[in-house]
Formats: sequence, structure tokens, C-alpha cells
Amino acid sequence: MFEWLEYGFMIRALAATSVLSFSIAPVGAFLVLRRLSLAGEAMAHAIVPGIVIGFVVAGLSVTSMIVGGLGAGITVAVLTSLLARFTIIREDASLASLYLIALALGIFILSASGSAVPLKSFLFGSILGIDDETLYLIGATATITLVSFALILRPLITNTIDPVFHESQSKRPGLVVQWFMFLVVLNLLGAFKALGTLMAVGLMILPATAARYWVSTLTGYLILTFVFAIASCWLGLIISYYAPDVPSGPAIVLVSGGFFFASLLLAPQGFGSLNRRTTSSRGSVSSPTPFTTRPNPALEEKTQ
Amino acid sequence: MVLSAHGLTLGYRGHPVVSDVSLKLAPGDVLAVVGHNGSGKSTLVKTLLGTLPPIAGAIEWPTGRPSTIAYLGQRTEFDTRFPVRLRDLAEMGAWHGLGFTRRIDPAGRARIEAALERTGTADIADMPVHTLSAGQLQRALFARTMVQDAPVILLDEPFTAVDQSTEADLLTLIDDWSAEGRALILVLHDLSAVLRHCTSALLLGRGTALFGVPHTTLTPDNLIEFGYMSASQAEWQELMYRRSGPESAGGPRV
Repeated sequence: MFEWLEYGFMIRALAATSVLSFSIAPVGAFLVLRRLSLAGEAMAHAIVPGIVIGFVVAGLSVTSMIVGGLGAGITVAVLTSLLARFTIIREDASLASLYLIALALGIFILSASGSAVPLKSFLFGSILGIDDETLYLIGATATITLVSFALILRPLITNTIDPVFHESQSKRPGLVVQWFMFLVVLNLLGAFKALGTLMAVGLMILPATAARYWVSTLTGYLILTFVFAIASCWLGLIISYYAPDVPSGPAIVLVSGGFFFASLLLAPQGFGSLNRRTTSSRGSVSSPTPFTTRPNPALEEKTQ
Repeated sequence: MVLSAHGLTLGYRGHPVVSDVSLKLAPGDVLAVVGHNGSGKSTLVKTLLGTLPPIAGAIEWPTGRPSTIAYLGQRTEFDTRFPVRLRDLAEMGAWHGLGFTRRIDPAGRARIEAALERTGTADIADMPVHTLSAGQLQRALFARTMVQDAPVILLDEPFTAVDQSTEADLLTLIDDWSAEGRALILVLHDLSAVLRHCTSALLLGRGTALFGVPHTTLTPDNLIEFGYMSASQAEWQELMYRRSGPESAGGPRV
């Protein structure tokens, strides 16, 4: 039953995704809390041409992947904010346009270059692709991410809950946001080998959305997100082992999806809570103060 | 004197919103900022916080700019769904100056408990923020402001979403802060609250500003001239005033 434990590639994949879960979980949790889930998805696709160009130019090395991926991510992020600021198209549409172009460009270059990497494992990941270099990359990613979180956690929380308040307290409020987006890209790159470019963001978002149904404290949220992430990785990898035609990315993400639906149905803040009182949107008042029928004391005095 | 400014022009990237702004603020002063939409209230708030430089003139801080200015903004961008409890929100007021990882010391803890007690939120301190009513949330944010323990406090329309009894409670807190020698700046629309609780007023409107004592600054004539009150609204008040007299109407004497 546990014969998969005897294979080196399987041990490496389990180790890699376990370490990755430590860093991708808090990043995903804050991505969801900051209401940037779709921006994370877009960013995951935006970095594809950078990875491909790095790969075509310098081969499948971690360095070329990081340089290319970060370069493409930063380019798309900067272009998006420039378009949003100086043209009539808003940020979401600008980002969507750019990442679609980037994704198409990436796949085009990869196919045209006649690369040795099969498109399927590039897009959807492969447990066989996790080599020692990838392990180092994931180790470095997790270290940088966790150290960064220790440093930016307070400003990041403040900035997420109450950005205006954070602005009043910080000399450079944008810095913490930019650093966080850097961590997003870094973790997407770390997840790329195991999950593929299309699926990497799934491990970032789904455990975080699933966990959100259960808890209402930040500590509990971060812990549960990690538990869902690591469980998704292990179960997904085992499924992928027994069904060799299934790439590891979709297997892992589908397990996350299972956690999401189970949470949706069972958790205290899932479907069961819909009739309970919740706020409708950010900044809105949960229930407007109703007009009371209490008599106005001033008027009462007048009638006496 | 905490701060003084003379002949300021405020605005964005060379587009002046309001000019000729002069004001003075001493410890214990409560300054009301009153003005129509777009008169430059938010611009002034940003300038005081230091996030927007004035186009002309400068704000002077005779005793040095305080390291923290407590600020409570409008709640348009506040995320009520973030998974924190009311107590955590109050605690955020103590984070400034702690650096990245240092823990809150016992004095800070005591300040947080006192703030929860004073704002009437101690009993609901463990409730998640998303379950709070608008009034409870505003009390929590006043607790956070109290925990900040700042010599200058800036509140931007703090009573917009709350009911009258909450407003009355929170106004006593403002009186306390003033008595403790803190300088307060409030953006307010409730003119009767201004007359009862503020020591000075800054009327903004039509691109200019008027600073003085509330009773002489916020006269109906000035409010009309600065575009805050329409002439017909003033006329309505005048008619009401004549018909029933100020005492029996129970309205503000303007």
C-alpha cells in the first residue's frame, strides 16, 4: 500500500510540496483576504513567457526560470498600473488583457522553439520534474517567504483591514504591498514544477478559500490553510502516482477543490450561515440603523 | 501651540482645491472642520497627515511634529470581513513604534483594556469584526484611537454611520481627550455638536477658508456664503424659528 514511499521521485515530490505548503499557504491566505484572488490567477499566467524565454535561452535551470518569471511578473504588474492610471481602461481589464497576451506568447514561444519539455507537464506539472535544484528553489522560497512574513505581518494586516489608517502610520505604505506581490510571484515559481503554470495558483487560492469558511481568527486561518494545502499535495501526489496519466497539478488542485466544497457544505461560515447576519461588502454597514418608533422627547415636552 | 498654518494652498499636483487656509491648534483645542463636498476637507486631512504636501505655504509644528498622529478615517475602504476580533482591532493602535516583531508591553496591554472599557466594548471584545454593528465597530475604532495615545488626534466624519446615542457617548470621549490636553481635529457635519464640543472651527468652501470661534464662524450668513447651506435651507430654519420660537422647537440656535 505504501510502495510509493520507496521511490526517490515520490519522496522528493512529497518533501518539496510539504515545504512549499509552509510558504504558499500564508501567501494564498493574504491574497484571499486582500481580495486579490483573481489578480493572483492573472499573475500566474503573466509569468509564463518569462519562464519560457528563460528556458529557451538558458535551458531548464532554476536561475533562468526565476529571472525570467520575476522579470515577466514585474513587467506585467508595472504595465497594468500604468495602463490603469493613464488610460481609460481599469485595472482589472488591463491586467486581463496583458496576462492573456503573456500566456499566449509563452505557449507560442515554447511550441515554436521545439522544446524538449512536453507541453502537458509544463502547463500542468509533473512529479517527475522535481529535481534537486527545484528542492533548493522551494527551500529558498519558503525561507524568504516566512522571514518576510515575520517582518511585514503587522503592516500587511493593517494595510489589508484599513488601508487609509495604514497610510497615516507609514512613510511608504506601498512598500509592504509590493513586497507581498513579490512573494506571490516567488511562490508561483516555486510551485511551478510540481503543479505546472496553469495549476500553481490553485494551491495558493483553494486551501485559503476553504479554510476561510471555518475560522474567524487570523492564526487559526493561517494554520488551517496550511493543513489544507499540505493535505492536498500529499493526496494529489498519491492519486497522480496511481494514475500515471494524470498530471500532478490537476490532481492536487482537485483535492483542494474537494476541501473547498466540503467546507462550503459543512463549515460554520459556509452555506449554513447564509441566513445569519453578515456584512454585504467591504466598508458597508451591516444593517442600517432603523428608524425607531420611540417618541422624540423634545416633541413630547412640547405637547404637554 | 501644537500646529499653526498661515495662508496654505492645498490640492493635488498643482490643482488647488482650497487656498488661504490659516489655522492654529493648541493642546486641548478641538477644531471642527466644516465644509461642503469637495471643499477640501479630505485634502486638508491628507495634508495634516503628511501624505500630501501643500501647494503653497507650510504647516508649522512649533514643538515638533508628533511621531504619531492618531487618525480615524471614513470607513469607505475598511474591510469588515478580515478575520480579527474587536480586541485585535484595538490592539492595532499599539503596533506603531513596536517595530516588526516586538510584543506589546504590560503598559500597552493595560491601555488596550482601559480603552475597551471606556468605549463600552469590553463585553464584546472577543466578537469577530464582521458581526459588529456600525456603532459597535465605530466604538472599537475609537478604542484603537485611544490606544494610539497620540498628542494630536484627527477624526474624519466619525459619526456618519452611527446612531445618536453612540454619537453622544463618543462625544464624551472627545471631551475627555481635550481635557487630557490632546489637540483634536474633527471633520463634522453635525453643527450642533460643533457648537457644544469644539473650541474652534475652520469653515471651508468655494475655494477658500475661514477660521475662528464656532459661534462667530458658523453663522448662517457664513454657511450660505461658503456654500455649505443653501439659501432656501437657511430660509426654512428662519421660518421654523419664527413660528415656534427656539425653546419649544428644541432645535439648534444658529
